[in-house]
Amino acid sequence: MKKKEQVFSKHMTGKKTQEQLEQFNKLLGEMMGSIGGKKGALEQIRVLEIGHANFPGLVCGAMLGEMGADVIKIEPPQGDAAREATHHGHYIQGVGIPFVMESRNKLLITIDFDDEQGIENIKKLVRKADILIDAMKPGYLDELGIGYRQISAVNPGLIYAAVSPYGHYTQKGRDFQNIPDTDLTAQSESGYPALTGDPGLPEPDNYPVRAGIWAATYMSAAVCVAGIMTALLHRDRTGEGQMVDMATYDALSAWMGFSHVWGFTNEKPRIRVGNYDWCLFPYGYYQAKDGYVTVAAGSDADFRGLIKILGRWDLEDDWRFVFDRIADDPVKLDELEKEMKKEFVKHTRKVLSEKTLAYGAKAARDKLRSKGFPIVVSTLKPSEVVEEKHWKIRRSFEEFDIKDHGRITVPSLPPRMSESPSKIEWIKTGIGEDNEEVYKKYKLIMKD
Amino acid sequence: MTEDYFSFTERLFDQSQTSGKPEALKGIRVLDLSRVIFGPMVAKWLALFGAEVIKIEQPEEGDDWRSGTYWGKYWKDSSPYFQSLNPNKYFVAIDLKEEKGKDLVKDLAKKADVVIENYRAGLAEAWGLGYMAMSKINPKIIYISCSGYGQWGPMRYFPSYDLISQSVSGVARMTGFSEKRTFKLPDYYGDFFPAILGVVGVLSALHHRERTGKGQFIDMAQTEALMRVMHNWTYMSATGQDIHPTGNFDPTMAPSGIFKTRDGLFISIAVATKEQFLILTEAMGAVELATDKRFQETAERLKGENAAIINEKLAQWVHTQNAEDIITLAKAKGFAAAVVMDDEKLVRDEWREARGSVVEFVDDMYGNSRFAGPAVSLHKSPGRIKRLTRPIGYHNRYVFKKILGLSEEDIRKLEKEDVIGYWDNRVGKRPPSYVDISKDKIFNYKKDERA
Repeated sequence: MKKKEQVFSKHMTGKKTQEQLEQFNKLLGEMMGSIGGKKGALEQIRVLEIGHANFPGLVCGAMLGEMGADVIKIEPPQGDAAREATHHGHYIQGVGIPFVMESRNKLLITIDFDDEQGIENIKKLVRKADILIDAMKPGYLDELGIGYRQISAVNPGLIYAAVSPYGHYTQKGRDFQNIPDTDLTAQSESGYPALTGDPGLPEPDNYPVRAGIWAATYMSAAVCVAGIMTALLHRDRTGEGQMVDMATYDALSAWMGFSHVWGFTNEKPRIRVGNYDWCLFPYGYYQAKDGYVTVAAGSDADFRGLIKILGRWDLEDDWRFVFDRIADDPVKLDELEKEMKKEFVKHTRKVLSEKTLAYGAKAARDKLRSKGFPIVVSTLKPSEVVEEKHWKIRRSFEEFDIKDHGRITVPSLPPRMSESPSKIEWIKTGIGEDNEEVYKKYKLIMKD
Repeated sequence: MTEDYFSFTERLFDQSQTSGKPEALKGIRVLDLSRVIFGPMVAKWLALFGAEVIKIEQPEEGDDWRSGTYWGKYWKDSSPYFQSLNPNKYFVAIDLKEEKGKDLVKDLAKKADVVIENYRAGLAEAWGLGYMAMSKINPKIIYISCSGYGQWGPMRYFPSYDLISQSVSGVARMTGFSEKRTFKLPDYYGDFFPAILGVVGVLSALHHRERTGKGQFIDMAQTEALMRVMHNWTYMSATGQDIHPTGNFDPTMAPSGIFKTRDGLFISIAVATKEQFLILTEAMGAVELATDKRFQETAERLKGENAAIINEKLAQWVHTQNAEDIITLAKAKGFAAAVVMDDEKLVRDEWREARGSVVEFVDDMYGNSRFAGPAVSLHKSPGRIKRLTRPIGYHNRYVFKKILGLSEEDIRKLEKEDVIGYWDNRVGKRPPSYVDISKDKIFNYKKDERA
């Protein structure tokens, strides 16, 4: 017999509800199980991507392509310098891992920007484009006669997305136009590393700490895509294109916005607090018997549930911790944290997560719903994540052959859409690989 | 003579003109059934760009995040974080446990374009407010469910938060100086990043609907969003190894790191290409490094030993310089450098104000306010903040009368039956103490909110 699926809400029990959920699941299977002949939402939208060592620009093009747009990436004959960046110097056929990952669904062509014929070719392409991603130095395309003010005159429906560290307007944008894009400097200008780290460690480990993924690059790219899509909806109704300006050194902080809240209300910056959170406790990573666990038990009810599970109900009545909202008192937290660390290390990851899930399932059926739901999960290594069956069923990872290299894995773009699903069709990496096809299709002139 | 480029763009993006410009999403009606961060941020984008977003909360309780704040601090009886997450929305309070409450939501759904929810997977469906029910009464509806792992697949019912998602995706193992002590991505990146991909999903569905007339279901999984930004999978499949935490060194760029300047500030510098490396060595007055076999080519420079050596050289140089001098060099020559900003500098940053990503305004209820504005600028249909949040149920009359055409009598009856409701007197949920709600014209629906 099939094992009964564990649910964590009393509203999801009962025969009738279970049947309804089963029906929904069936519908999901039909909608999401296979893409079939469905096309992405941006089918027939033509995108040109022009960029130089600009990573958010690369990602913008990739996301639009994944949603079904026809994306042509234009590189100079020697290729986009973004190809150089890669982890520890490991390349796939000479191309950096981030570039490979973000080449999905693009046609790659080369055009010589120093050559008049090259500019004429770009003009031809741009006339028929719906979206242009300008990830060059601000003003560079304008100088070449293919900036927003020139192109919008011949193609008023064009959405022109400018992607640069400090943006294409403001005095600072002008003064800082030479500064190139990197994730780390974008994180810093957004104040992000100032929130991570432990000032108690020896130098230089006590410094502000970089987020270990390209947090700023991907955030600014996704925000830019959302801006482009918003402009596209404006165009759907009015026929008007417009300029979209993304400052990649700003978007992470502007979209998250909590730094601004803190700065406005406290008139001083936060200090780095190691494993703590400013709103919730416990909310962090702990050493268990056989590895690391992540604990999220932010409400007072969750916390009380947790100490019950850990067999430390004695703490509940401890004079140091009797107040609610324990997360509000960083001095007491140090003491409580010691107790927490002592308990987690006694148990295996499996036991901790099974116990808390069982508690949560039971607490969810409680009439007053006042028992909380502390959550403890294994802090997975990426190598453990790829093995998970759930992601296989959802096709969260896809595999592609790279010419003369072999298979590689790439993550696909959520969300899953029932009518206009996104899809990775191909990954190409060769410089000018699609020159022949694109030059012919758009009647561009090839220099010999 | 052609106008200077930046003068041209300055006119395009003139912030003083924003309020007079059209809104891209005007006329789009959104039901926001979500709470905390993930779902509300999807709705926030739509509200910033002109959609009419109706946030539906449980009477008295409201969104959990109304009482969520840092170290117990509130601002005029409200959570300032909640303010930041929910501007421009309309606040109604309907008891979803009551059949009549569900009917009210469905009546609104008939007239809506988008529904957003982020209850645990399956819960909205169990309540009869899921996609199956909503698409039946409004086939053109765009319905987005935001959850930890998606609505489909064996892990769907497992609980999730930002941090849990960081752990299930593997992100949790990436930040810090060693495997033994990793740090979380702060400020709920695991909610904010998935939310922006949810926004992209909704906008693309609206575009699809413009062309085909069809609505759809969107299954937005927090953990998949985080997996999309990780380079680990591709790296692993190519090399057979995982990427490990490398502290402030970005393993794709050498040199790179956060360094301490002579004047004690933290500055980050990163070099992505050969060209940028040459420029940096000129700035350092150490051009010989650019022809050194260990560093000349990016591929060599990125390799373990070489990267460590060049990083150390850069750290030493930074240590002899003041931050301002490094930035001056970076601007003139063109390498990537930025001083690590902080909360206070960010919110007072003139550049951000000029961009419109920090906005100062006077809110009708909360007075002088300074918050993050739109994170991207559109010159013809820019986003904007029109007002902050309001107490639970503040727009009940406004929404039920104007949109559903209910009478004062109908509303009194629903109040009496506890189908709709308001705040209770706890901090975070109630209006500021200086507001006399009985005289409030919007609350009593004597006038419209400003467009």
